[in-house]
Parts: sequence; C-alpha cells; structure tokens
Amino acid sequence: MKKINKMNVKFACSFILAIGTLHSVSTLADTTYEDHLADEANGADWLSYSGGYKSHRFSPLSQINTANVDQLKVMWAYQMQPTGISGAGLQETTPVVSDGIMYLTESPSSVTALDARSGNLLWHWSPDISNEVLNIGFPRINRGVALLDNNVYVATLDARLFALDARTGAVRWETQVADNSLGFSLTLAPLALDGKIIVGVSGAEAGVRAFLDAYDASSGQRLWRTFTVPEPGEPGSETWQGDDWETGGGSTWLTGSYDPELDLLYWTTGNPAPDWNGDLRPGDNLYTCSVIAFDPETGEMRWHFQYTPHDTHDWDANQIPVLVDGEFEGQQRKLLALANRNAFYYLLDRATGEFLLAEEYSYQTWAEGIDENGRPIVIPNTEPTREGVLVWPSLQGATNWFSPSYNPQTEQFFVANRRMGAIYFKADAEYQPGQPFLGGGEQALDGDQATGAILALDVMSGEQQWEFELLTPPWSGVMATSGGLVFGSSNEGQFFALDAATGDPLWNFNTGAHIRTNPMGFSIDDNQRVAIIGGQTLFVLGLE
Amino acid sequence: MPFRFILRPLRRSIVALPPALFTALICYSLPVLAQEAEAGEQLFQTHCARCHGILGEGGEGPSLKRPQLNHAPDDDALYSVITEGIPGTGMPGSWMLSPADGRQLVSYVRNLGQLPDEPMPGDPSAGEIVYNNAGNCASCHILNGIGEGIGPQLNGVGARRNSEYLRRSVTSPEVEQPKIVDRFRGTLNAFLTVRIVSERGTYEGMRINEDAFTVQMRDLAGDIYSFEKADLLSFEKAFGHSYMPGYGAVLTETQINDVVSYLMTLRD
Repeated sequence: MKKINKMNVKFACSFILAIGTLHSVSTLADTTYEDHLADEANGADWLSYSGGYKSHRFSPLSQINTANVDQLKVMWAYQMQPTGISGAGLQETTPVVSDGIMYLTESPSSVTALDARSGNLLWHWSPDISNEVLNIGFPRINRGVALLDNNVYVATLDARLFALDARTGAVRWETQVADNSLGFSLTLAPLALDGKIIVGVSGAEAGVRAFLDAYDASSGQRLWRTFTVPEPGEPGSETWQGDDWETGGGSTWLTGSYDPELDLLYWTTGNPAPDWNGDLRPGDNLYTCSVIAFDPETGEMRWHFQYTPHDTHDWDANQIPVLVDGEFEGQQRKLLALANRNAFYYLLDRATGEFLLAEEYSYQTWAEGIDENGRPIVIPNTEPTREGVLVWPSLQGATNWFSPSYNPQTEQFFVANRRMGAIYFKADAEYQPGQPFLGGGEQALDGDQATGAILALDVMSGEQQWEFELLTPPWSGVMATSGGLVFGSSNEGQFFALDAATGDPLWNFNTGAHIRTNPMGFSIDDNQRVAIIGGQTLFVLGLE
Repeated sequence: MPFRFILRPLRRSIVALPPALFTALICYSLPVLAQEAEAGEQLFQTHCARCHGILGEGGEGPSLKRPQLNHAPDDDALYSVITEGIPGTGMPGSWMLSPADGRQLVSYVRNLGQLPDEPMPGDPSAGEIVYNNAGNCASCHILNGIGEGIGPQLNGVGARRNSEYLRRSVTSPEVEQPKIVDRFRGTLNAFLTVRIVSERGTYEGMRINEDAFTVQMRDLAGDIYSFEKADLLSFEKAFGHSYMPGYGAVLTETQINDVVSYLMTLRD
C-alpha cells in the first residue's frame, strides 16, 4: 500500500516522471511509523536495522529460492569512502532501504544514500570526528541508521545523535548524548518508534554507568533516560556494594526490539565493569547482562531478566532479542528468543519476563545448566584467575552482536556460532575517567584451534536441527528468506546461501575480504535483491 | 608459576651496567626497577609471550631481543605498535591495556632489547657448509633467492627465532610449525599437512589456504591444487606432522650446533 500511495504523490508532484523516465528514485523519502509497523510483511523495503520491530531479519521474498539461488549475480557494488580517521577500517553496518533509496553508514560514523537500483551515490555525509575519539573496548565502527518521516538518524562514535534530511543529508539537528571523554560512545543503529528515537551507549570497558535514551524525533529533545545500573535505593541496588554502581557498566550498545501490541520496548545490556575482576564488584550486578522491557513512553522498566548474574567473562547480553509468537507447551504465547553469548539459548514470555526455557546451543564449560528460575548453575573455578583459566566460550562468546534470523513460517531460529575457548586472566583495575577499566583479559584459542558454524534451532525448544561448519568463528550474521534460504558469511570472505531445511550449501561467492556484518534484502522494480559488505565493498546481488 | 624465570635476564642486564651506575641503581632505583620489571613481566606474559616467546626470544612473532625493532624506532612508536597493532601483520592491538600498562610494556620490551645476544652453540661458517651440503637445506628452503620453496623462506630467520626454536625446527620440525596470524581468522598453521581424496585421485601436500567451501594445497613438487570440498571423498588435516625430516638422525650434534649458529646469523 505504501508504495502505491507514494507513487500517486510522485505522479502529482514529480516532473521527472512527467518527462517519461521509467525508473525514478523517490523524491519523497518519508518512512512513517505505520510503514515500520508493516515492515515485516513488506519485502520491498528494509526499514530498520533488524528488518522490522520483531527483529526477525527475515525477508518474505521468494523470487530467489532454493531452485535458482545458484544463478545469483552481482548487480552492483559500492566502494566505501575512507574518512582519514585511523582504525576505522571495519564495516559492520546493515543497510536499510526505503522506497528505492538505500541508506548505510560507513565507519566510523558517516552516512551514505544510494540509488538502490544502480548503486549510484545520492549523498554522503560525514561528521567532524577527532582522530583522538575514545573507543575503549570495541572498534571504530557503526552499525547503521534509523529512518522516520523525512529524517535519517545516526549515532556517532563521539556520542552524538544526528537527524539528517533524508533527501539531501543536511543536518536537521544534533544532540550530545554523552561525554566521549569518559568513554561513552555510540555505534548502534538507533531505533525509530512513533515520534521517538531510541539510542543506547557503549562504554562498559571504560567503567561508564550506562543508560537507554529516548529523543523527540523532530526536535532532538531528550524525552527520558533510564540507567541500567540502579543507584542506591532503587530496585536492584541491593545487587551492588558501596559505590561500585557508579562505574558499573551495563552498556546498551545493540539495537533492541519493540512489540506495538504490548507497547513494550526490549533492550539488552552488556557486562558489568570491570570486566574480568569480579572481586571488585560483589553481587549479581543488576541490570547487566540482561534483557529489560521498557515502557517506551516513560522509560520505566516493566520487567527484566538477567542471563549471566555477576558476569566475569565479558559475556554481554547484547544480542538481538527476537520476538516470536507461537505455541509453547500447548499454549499460545508472546515469546522473546535470544541466543546468548554465554552459549545458552533462552525463551522468555515477553509480556511478563517469565523464564520458560534455556538450552545449551554451543560447547561451554562454565555452567552445569540453567535452573528452573533461569539462573546458571556455575561450575566452580571457572572465573578468571591471575594464572589463567581455560573456559569455553571465549570472551567473544558463542555468538555476539551479529544478528540471528527467525523464519516464522517454519519456526526456525538461525544463529552464527563461534566455537572457541580462551584462557581468562584476572588483573587489578582502578577506575580512572576515560581509561580502560578491565581487570584482566584473555588469550583466545583461535585459528586452527577454533571453528564456527551456522546453526538452525527449533525456536520453541532450542534443539539443533542442523549445522553448517565454518573454518573459523564468524563475525557476521544471517538472514532467512521465504525462498527456503539462509544467507550467511564468513571471515574468509564467502557470502553464501544454505538450504534452510537441511543446511546444505547451495551457492557461495567470494567477496575478496573478511565479512563482519549482516545480510539484508529488499526488492527494486519487483526484483529481489540481497546485500552484504565484504571488506570495504557493498555488494548487491540478484537474478538476471 | 611457569614463567618466573623470566626475571633472570633482566637481573643479568642490571649486573652488566657500569659499576658506578649499578651502585647508584641499587641505592636509588632498584626497588622501583624491580617493581616495574615484575609488573612488566606479568603484562608481557598475558599479552605478548604467546607469540613473542616467554623471554621475548620470538616464536610465532619475531624476537624482541633486539636493540632496533623494525616497526618501533622509538618508545612512542613502540607504544603505538603495542596498543594499536601493525596493520597487515599478525600483530594485534592490545586495547585492554591502560596507558600506564602500555608504558610499562614499552619499558619491559626495551629492556629485552638490551639483553646480550644469545651465545651461538657452534660455528656459523661451518654451519653454512652444512646448510649447503650435508643438510641440503636449499632443496626445500629459499634463502637469499636461492633454493626451492617447499618450506618457509629463511631470510631473517635469526631475527625471528631463538636458538632453542631453531634447534627444535631442525631436529623435530613437527613440533615447531610456522604459523600465520590472520587478523580475522586467528592463528593458522602455515604448512599444515593435508591428505585429500577425490574421484580423480589422492593428493598430499601442504595447505595454502582454506575456507568453508574450498581448499588450496601445494604438493612436494610445488604444484598447486584447488578443490571444492563438496567434491571430495575425504579431507584430512595432519596436525603435528611435517614434511621436513628430523635432522637429529641425519646430522651430528656438532653439525646441528653449527647450522643453528648459521641460521642465527640470518638477521636481515
């Protein structure tokens, strides 16, 4: 419907069409809240980071399918533009597409608009970021933009939030979210709700006290801020001692999900600080390594679930919370599925936060299991030590920020899996503003000692259906489609398609460089496209 | 505490100072130096020793027991190398370090560079003769452009490896297999023995590269093959195997000492 409505407007006001051009780029780059609500069913566009509020990263298109995926060809490519900022060579963005225009970010915080048909540049915008910007604990990257109405929203490495005019890239407003000199930074794609832009922060490796923010989409005024580490007297403060909470971490560095019917916003949180020396912060350290349900109007917490209490392995819970509706143990439920960095797959009731299920999906040596309340039964002597202790998974986890995918038609949950152990060390840590606050580190058993895989899990049980083995632990996500496919990629540079029913490889393409981002899909002129970034190059593929 | 003896060479370096300065250090700075050395030792173990060796003598990474480091002509450059890594090489940036820890590591690595060269176990001139005759090393190694490229090139190997590593490489090459460190993939065996069976035959050689779908190998004749994994009947990786024979049974102890000494002189 959206497309037709827009085309009507275009016919009324666009002289481009009047002179007979068949393929016009939209002149009205508006993406409404209603468009976002319909995004999951709309295969033509990909309007937000995870391809819809439920974060399924699923394309409902089936033109490319198991029968013809081996005919995929590169339709166009786009070479990213160096900014001159050192250390900004990794690209982790997911492009979004709205009505024929693709918007993507380039590291560290630039935004590019491309004609999704040809790949030709429409505009490019770069913020003025100092080479001295702090990024403590993560690379100088950005994961993408949010779209709402006529604006494109981007969060920057130096902790600002910008609204850009979607047609030109001109700045509508900017606001300073937090102080980068303290280690705060923003790398996530913002989430656009009805009139609001939601952003979280990175910085737990610098000992920040993290929070989630909502901003008025049209003015940039902050509407609310909710800290993820409570101050004394607030609920959860009993899980901290002394003033540990002031440097408690709990970063909110990955985009969350939204249920418009329950009107709940789901956001995940990262590690407590310092990372590996838990002696310096006794207690469960709420609300770190958790998922939190927020009231998007007020920022009030409705419920929380902590995956890894008192984490000492840097197992942030900053993975994508996938919203699933279906029958669980004979009852229709609204669920939240998450494959955690700690090697367990979890199902929660997303209306109440009730723990329903946990299943080990990757080899681990730190927990005997998860008890009936969702709390891990920790194996003794698996915390980091001065001498080092070998534990699976490594601090990078059994998975990480890169996205899983959910096919609601087959109730399959796909996840890119890292299979690597590490020797964890504990060290002293003293908080100093804007300095690393870590308390240890790891020596990873990488390379030939590690492997990776793409896994298919039964979403309701977490049981593995198949695996496709990768040579090394991946840093890139997956996207399932209605064509019976799962797209994924590897450190070795292959972008590939698997048969979603069996895991059999059906097609692969060597992009020529490491891949560290997520696939996405859209259509242009009713032709299905899939996109991936290898190295510094965006590839858009389709059938001839 | 398997790494405690790392302090020994540092103490030796202090003893090697002129007597007057040594006395002054004992009176004034020795406790401070000892503390810094202790802290630097711990940091080195955690962040560096895995590749650069327990004593900085080299291993997967080059020896640091050199007064001049190629990528770090001064302390500021060394600090940058430690914290940011060296693009295009296996040297990662240690982002976990605080600035104070980074500076301590700089100090520690500089101390390693002041240590005296390892004594040679034999006669390098005699070792060059062994290299070219009894050892016939050029049949598999290229050195200064001469030889066959079956095994690793040996230019500069004396700057990368210590005598113990070189000796093991000569006598027990399956124990010390060169690694390649890929920024994105981690540490991979650079000369991994593979055995590949396809419908066209059986192929044995060394892996050149691999991904989830394909593998590339070079056989002992130097021929390069590329395979689609889906087409293979079997694909075996023989970790711990080397095509280089152990020379402990071929050369005398004196010859081994001599050829190790010759390799130690190859520093450019």
